[in-house]
Amino acid sequence: MYYVFVDFDGLDPSPPWVGFSNFTELAADPDVWAAFKNNVIWIVGGTISPLVLGLGLALLVWKLERGSVWYRMAFFLPYVLPPVAIGVVWSWIYEPSRGWLNRALEAVGLGSWTTGWLGNPSTALYAVLGTAIWAAMGFVFVIILAALRNVNADLVDASRLDGANAAQRLRYVILPQIMPVFIMVATLTLIGGFSVFDIIFVMTGGGPAGATDVLGTYAYKSAFQLNRISYGTTLALIITVMAVPFAIVMNRLQRKLSLQGMGA
Amino acid sequence: MLLIAISLLVLFPLVLTVSTAFKTSEDVKVNPFGLFSSFSTENLVTAWTVGEFGKYVVNSLLLTVPSTALVVVLSTMGGYAFARLPFPGRGIAFYLVILGLLVPFFTYMIPLYFQLRSMRLLDTLLGVNLVLASTGLAFGTFFMRAFFLDLPNELDQSARLDGASELQIFLRVMLPLVLPGVGALTVFTFLQNWNNFLVPLLYLPTAQYRPLTTGLYLFLGGRSVDIGPLAAGTLITILPVMVLYVALQKHVTQGFLSGAVKG
Repeated sequence: MYYVFVDFDGLDPSPPWVGFSNFTELAADPDVWAAFKNNVIWIVGGTISPLVLGLGLALLVWKLERGSVWYRMAFFLPYVLPPVAIGVVWSWIYEPSRGWLNRALEAVGLGSWTTGWLGNPSTALYAVLGTAIWAAMGFVFVIILAALRNVNADLVDASRLDGANAAQRLRYVILPQIMPVFIMVATLTLIGGFSVFDIIFVMTGGGPAGATDVLGTYAYKSAFQLNRISYGTTLALIITVMAVPFAIVMNRLQRKLSLQGMGA
Repeated sequence: MLLIAISLLVLFPLVLTVSTAFKTSEDVKVNPFGLFSSFSTENLVTAWTVGEFGKYVVNSLLLTVPSTALVVVLSTMGGYAFARLPFPGRGIAFYLVILGLLVPFFTYMIPLYFQLRSMRLLDTLLGVNLVLASTGLAFGTFFMRAFFLDLPNELDQSARLDGASELQIFLRVMLPLVLPGVGALTVFTFLQNWNNFLVPLLYLPTAQYRPLTTGLYLFLGGRSVDIGPLAAGTLITILPVMVLYVALQKHVTQGFLSGAVKG
């Protein structure tokens, strides 16, 4: 905490006291706001997409008689791999001239869409986000699939007999039963979104020109590349202050729902 | 059919890694990102010797095994204490553990750097093992506590009546019953520490003890053109994780599951 109120460069044993000036500078720093905006995009996109995809896949595998072990294995594997290695491999897929993504686009006649995914400031953030979604999806899938095993199949069958279509069955019969677990996965994914670092750092290092910087990478750069220790610490503190209320609200929500879910 | 296609698509980046790692260097030059049409282990040899990945493997083990052991042993004892032993200040102490779960690593990564430096633990195996252990302890304690809470009260009461000491109750009666939890925590912590990138990057500035993750990252920066050895290095980095995962697939997913539900 002490570092927040001084101007420490990592060497000076008695750094000058600067009060709240780290905070005021932070609020006026356009790069911080850009990083904050990227963080928000990351949190929203990086929470919703894996949830939707993981839920979708889990629903597809749910009624499967055979092969569910294979799917659990295949979808969950990316989640346990080191983010550094994931970043390296996906950089090849996004490579501009001979990467697989551009080749695939050309093959289906969308050659005009090809671009240097990680080098283009307008696509870089989404490209890295895509990789993160690939890695996070399996976690959601496995947890939701386990929750689905506890869903009362008779209720689902009964609603089908009553003429409910697939969307209605999902909305009114299945989702309410798995809601506590769903909220919990959402919380974990959301909190992960606040502390994203590795994958962005490895794939783009925050570039091009700060286009993929989030608060975490910006704090790291300030502290360890520009020797602005105090400024970096202040940024890190801000990330925490933002993340904690979310965690608490989601936790409350989950507790409330799981009490209802248990019929208590 | 749709699911098979999706699962193959999901696994495609891994296929790409393996195939690129085993190409000959001519094949890499002509067709850097294509699937392999040649077979050679020269990339693996290059990565292992020139890229120093052999040394990184040893370092990864030196950083992962002690810290994991520390987390598992201390969390199991801590979880037991919080679940079964009424001691003064237990409530407050447990809130402190929860706080450790809520505060992300970012918050203290920078001050921690200077703390380690002043304790002369920067750039040492001991220092990084301690950091990795301390970041895992909060979750571990919380996780093991849930397992101990599930055990019936009659169990330790009757053991106590039979004249067992507290240590005997813990080791002989309770511990065998939570072994699935201990196993799950071990795998979970091992993977976390093995995959950790930021901690060794920050606190091991010189090359001496660099593990696979940061080694791979610096290899990437140093020779961005040589795709072949880079793929081989990536393969060496993920291979232990994949072997562990495939061998213990059921336990890994089960462990994450109970970790998420209980934690």
